[in-house]
Amino acid sequence: MWIVEYRELIRILTVSDLKVKYQSSVLGFLWSLLNPLLMMLVLYLVFSNVFKFEDDSFALYLLIGIVAWRFLANGTMTSISAIVGRPSLVTKVYVPRQVLVLSTVLSSFTSSILEFSVLIPLLIFFGVDLSANVLFFPLIHLAFLGLVYGMSLVLSALYVYYRDLNQIWDVLLQAGFFLSPIVYPAEIVPDKYLAAYMLNPVTVTIEMYREALLYATAPSAADLAFVAAAAGAALLVGGAVFGRLEGRFAEEI
Amino acid sequence: MASRLSLPGIRQIGEIVNGTRDLGEEAVVVEGVSKRFRIPHERKSTFYDHLFGLARGGRYSYEVFSALEEVTFSVRRGETFGVIGPNGCGKSTLLKILAGVLRPDAGRVAIAGKVAPFLELGVGFHPELTAIENIRLYGAIMGLSRREVEGKREEILEFADLKRFENMKLKNFSSGMYVKLAFATAIEANPDILLVDEVLSVGDEAFQKKCAGKIEEIRRAGKTIVYVSHALASVRDLCERCILIDAGRVVALGEAERVVLEYRNLIEQIESENNKVKK
Repeated sequence: MWIVEYRELIRILTVSDLKVKYQSSVLGFLWSLLNPLLMMLVLYLVFSNVFKFEDDSFALYLLIGIVAWRFLANGTMTSISAIVGRPSLVTKVYVPRQVLVLSTVLSSFTSSILEFSVLIPLLIFFGVDLSANVLFFPLIHLAFLGLVYGMSLVLSALYVYYRDLNQIWDVLLQAGFFLSPIVYPAEIVPDKYLAAYMLNPVTVTIEMYREALLYATAPSAADLAFVAAAAGAALLVGGAVFGRLEGRFAEEI
Repeated sequence: MASRLSLPGIRQIGEIVNGTRDLGEEAVVVEGVSKRFRIPHERKSTFYDHLFGLARGGRYSYEVFSALEEVTFSVRRGETFGVIGPNGCGKSTLLKILAGVLRPDAGRVAIAGKVAPFLELGVGFHPELTAIENIRLYGAIMGLSRREVEGKREEILEFADLKRFENMKLKNFSSGMYVKLAFATAIEANPDILLVDEVLSVGDEAFQKKCAGKIEEIRRAGKTIVYVSHALASVRDLCERCILIDAGRVVALGEAERVVLEYRNLIEQIESENNKVKK
């Protein structure tokens, strides 16, 4: 299995990616936290008057949605160029190409964990009761990782052949941002669309994050199973597409 | 040939078998390998191009360039094997197929052991990382474990004379230092089979001698080397056997001295033909 055989390479590529991202400094990490916080502030100012929340948890509601979404957006946007961005590792030497995609996704995954762990003290500070249900977080996050990695496999492989895919994906991500319950509560979705709306695994995932972190409830087994199944499907499809397109990577880069 | 086809460890058409496999006496087996490249008439590399092309009723058309045709040979364990031929004959394509970078369209390739491709030095090196971090990175690319790399770290730095600069970022290295570090790292990865593509002329004279010595040492240690070069004299001196490729086909295969002679004849032939055309 390539993951085991090349685990050292995956580790090094992930760490060096993080190092470059955070410029080897604490300040670099702080900067990266400023982005979701500022975004939360802006969206809060805009939307807090639109949607009436019973208590004042809208800011935290927003923040959880934003941080969760950032993993999907950053993870796929950086790994879309995982193959094209490292031409020498594709054309000059043989390494399993999935290694390149996995390590960029893992780097975003680590960033996301760091962002979530900054969120926890904030939750406590604003008086949220954290229950043992927080322990569902790793489970949800792992399922989300599978989903993001599966999507990244497809995107990075297609990007080798279609170099405007990043532009297209950027637009799709913006649409996805508003199609998921990030800035608004899922309850405002009209009933007749709700069934279709909840078919989006990202929506279900974000709701589960909030249940575990904000509402101190356990996510339902059905939701967990649904997201896990979606992640499994993404991994299968991603692996199949990647395997088919991989053959001519070295010629097309 | 029929007996060859039943060799253990050989997989389906068009696939490459890498890793440690028992091929008996042979270290590398190449059978009927062909590689064609598609050269599109109009390069389409975006969705936009494809959509626009369809809208105008255009079709995806390309020319097929045949880089390798039915190439068959095998390299014995511990042999130094030369690959020669004029520019553009398919030598580099062959080497890339052996390295596992390109997939052949037809034929089989089987390799027994770990391959270290010297297609280019410093593959995967990252300018923002220090010398030591790059050594670790390269070791990982070669599939070495962390402990194996740590064991070789000092040797590599010493061989490259870069002990003093071990914590300097690679972007601050001179090109000479870069090449030395790259060569030292690659050579210490301890592969079973080396693919060498004329990268041995690196660094200053003293370092070149050191490299040549190291290659000789590896050869004596019974490793297999596939050596691609235009320097016919060095091919004749280093290699036991040799293959001559012209326009993607194997023209001659055999003792290095005989094949080099054949290549010289081929060059003379081409030159005299060129002269005729000029007249």
